[in-house]
Amino acid sequence: MKTRGLYIAISLVSLIVLPFVAGDFYINLATQVLIAVVFSASLNILVGYAGLSSLGHAAFLGFAAYICAGTTVTLGLPPLVAAVLALAGTTLLAAIFGAIALRASGLGFLMITLALAQVVWGLAYRWVGLTNGDNGLTGLTRPHPFGVSLDSPAAFYLATLLTTGIALTVIAILVGSAYGVSLQGTRDQPRRMAALGHNVWLVRWTAFIIAGFWAGVAGLLYVYYQRYIHPSVLSMATSAEGLLGVIAGGSGTLAGPVVGAALVVILKNYASIYIERWNMLLGAVFVLIVLVMPDGIVPGVRRLLARRDR
Amino acid sequence: MTVPALLIENLHKSFRGLIATNDVTMRIEPGERRLLIGPNGAGKTTLFNQISGDLLPGAGRIELFGTDVTTLPPHRRAHMGLARTYQILTLFPRETLLRNVELALLGLRPGRWNMVRPLARDRALVQEAAVALTRVGLGGLADRPVAALSYGEKRRLEIALALAQNPRLLLLDEPLAGLSTEERETVRKVIADIPRTTTVVLIEHDMDIALDLADTVTLLQFGTVIVDGTRDSVIADPRTREVYLGH
Amino acid sequence: MQFWVAQTLNSLAFGGLLFLLSSGFSLIFGLMRLANLTHGALFMLGAYIGAYLMRAFPGTSLWMAALASGIAVAVFGGLLERFVLRRLAGNALGQVLLTLGIAFIISDGCLLVFGGDPIPLSTPHWLARPVFLWGFIFPAYRLAVVVLAVFAALGLHILLDRTRLGAMIRAGVDDMAMARAVGIPVSAIFTLVFCLGSAIAGAGGVLAGPILSAYPGLDGDMLPLALIVVILGGVGSITGAFVGSFIIGAIYTFGIALLPDLAYVILFLPMILVIAIRPNGLFGRMAV
Repeated sequence: MKTRGLYIAISLVSLIVLPFVAGDFYINLATQVLIAVVFSASLNILVGYAGLSSLGHAAFLGFAAYICAGTTVTLGLPPLVAAVLALAGTTLLAAIFGAIALRASGLGFLMITLALAQVVWGLAYRWVGLTNGDNGLTGLTRPHPFGVSLDSPAAFYLATLLTTGIALTVIAILVGSAYGVSLQGTRDQPRRMAALGHNVWLVRWTAFIIAGFWAGVAGLLYVYYQRYIHPSVLSMATSAEGLLGVIAGGSGTLAGPVVGAALVVILKNYASIYIERWNMLLGAVFVLIVLVMPDGIVPGVRRLLARRDR
Repeated sequence: MTVPALLIENLHKSFRGLIATNDVTMRIEPGERRLLIGPNGAGKTTLFNQISGDLLPGAGRIELFGTDVTTLPPHRRAHMGLARTYQILTLFPRETLLRNVELALLGLRPGRWNMVRPLARDRALVQEAAVALTRVGLGGLADRPVAALSYGEKRRLEIALALAQNPRLLLLDEPLAGLSTEERETVRKVIADIPRTTTVVLIEHDMDIALDLADTVTLLQFGTVIVDGTRDSVIADPRTREVYLGH
Repeated sequence: MQFWVAQTLNSLAFGGLLFLLSSGFSLIFGLMRLANLTHGALFMLGAYIGAYLMRAFPGTSLWMAALASGIAVAVFGGLLERFVLRRLAGNALGQVLLTLGIAFIISDGCLLVFGGDPIPLSTPHWLARPVFLWGFIFPAYRLAVVVLAVFAALGLHILLDRTRLGAMIRAGVDDMAMARAVGIPVSAIFTLVFCLGSAIAGAGGVLAGPILSAYPGLDGDMLPLALIVVILGGVGSITGAFVGSFIIGAIYTFGIALLPDLAYVILFLPMILVIAIRPNGLFGRMAV
């Protein structure tokens, strides 16, 4: 237990110190990793803890990003209002999509989440009047909370680090709470949970909404990082990358999405230097992980360490 | 006449032409110990599934303590005092015994929606769960994972989960199946010790123990009630012998 | 008026193509409980193979290309199922992720090999002309596609309803355990159905070529529509895939023509309605 606290402390210190020792490229890379971590952690609530695999999670990230960018750039709303609207809208969208998708389970659920996300994606591409279609929305400037400018990579990185820390802490608390344990119960034995008095549908729907909310937070971080939003962010590839981050790291653990998302982003950045076709590599990594390491890295490493300690 | 714990009227269920429950009518009084017997395929578990809400009947009526629950979802029936065990164990494999019981205790409490307080810190809940485990003789194994239990111990845990709900009506689906003689005696005692504030309906094949526990018996065959009455009258009834020996 | 007639024919043709894609998907899902996310990529792969054959071997007719593509994609699908997917039996999520990964590999691979420009496939000469009926002009090829889809539907129907193989497949869809118990060679049938579904998809891609062309992103455009068709029509049902394809074909085509901004939302609505009222789909026999 003490060693885990030590690891976390060391990681935290290194993360905070990073912008003072590294160049802009690495700072930006770290920011991208953190955004992916929030996204994968939000998806992990569904996949790892609720046992509901979704391939449509990008819809919430993209939706929040678009509302934020759209209301700021087109309507001139102040950043705080835009952010609140974006999160509120995304939460509402998650409530609606969740109610629809939860009419099915297992593969049906997966297919419906995919279809719903594709509808949002198609909307972003085609409703040019609203979203500017294939051109995307530009011209977004980063907010300056309490007068502090977030324009520099270092400043934005630290703000993202803070947000990520809050997100992961809240999710960790959720997982350890009565609700969190009940949620995992519905994953493992839904029939038993119903017989015990738990409203399984309601528990799952709540999880879907919470997961959508945090994906929206990731969307806000994303759109402020890029200062630009394009419909491709809503594509199945984004959902797939998020899912890869969850399973590569190990679903159903807290550290899993952190490790997995970091891996996916670093791989993506370095691979695209050498290989033109990132999607191909992404696909290959999927295949590899599923066949060779289905539990993910974190449980695999834990097993190794447990064996070593014997 | 008191309000019956369970009232089933003309219950009917068929699957693509195969009749699983054929116009079943049953009345169970509060505190009663009813044994449900019948050859394999008689429709006993199907009947349980309709009582618990896991299955919707085709026709007929089910009343729990006077309230119509025929189409009520399972979790709402739990809130009305219904609990059950399953033929195939439905334990939470990744959790400790303590956690398993805590989940059972939480099912009926508003605290199950708490998203902030760490469950491990809820001392009162942990205590209650420990007591529930001791009741079935598993107190010493509270912190162990379910995977470490023997089959007999798992069966006892399954019953502990149902008992933790403090049910008014308890459905036990073959609680003695697959147990050794020693384990059977332990589980028999657990069932015998259940207070009369809980009505018990039991499906069992082990006649020695089951008949000993029962006040009344219902015999099912092909989804139909063949004989229904006090234990002794059913044992003596020639139709009972026919159903079992006619095979 | 010509506009409405043209759009109607377009939607029928598109529906027909959708049927070629979704019938395979629905069969595979219904029988093997496998959500084959590679299916859109197989459609696209077929289109590209067809395009390649017609370029590299001039004189190859569209039909020959469709046949060759169908066979090639069927072989690919068969190998995929037999040697990779089967290893993940029972791991539904794993299978989905694997098929997704393969879809990405195929789709990017095609981009790498064929480049980013759309490659239209040439319409067969004798169909590359307008047909005059009842005072309206119909592009002959689109009529042909509709006819082909109907034949494919009939063929599948006969296969499933009138042959012993079809009976075995239907038994597997209804009750896998029972089918095994009765001695039906389930594993072999799995591979066969996967090959069949892949073949129809691959050939379908070629037949779609003159209308849609082979282009990167074809898989991403078609797969979600196939998903919506199967959700709408019901899993494992050819009738459902047939009806669903034409409904979605019509909504999509008229939607794009009349309300381009909202075309995707309009697809949304029948899907939601069906999920809310009949989660099994219009003709499905099992929960999705």
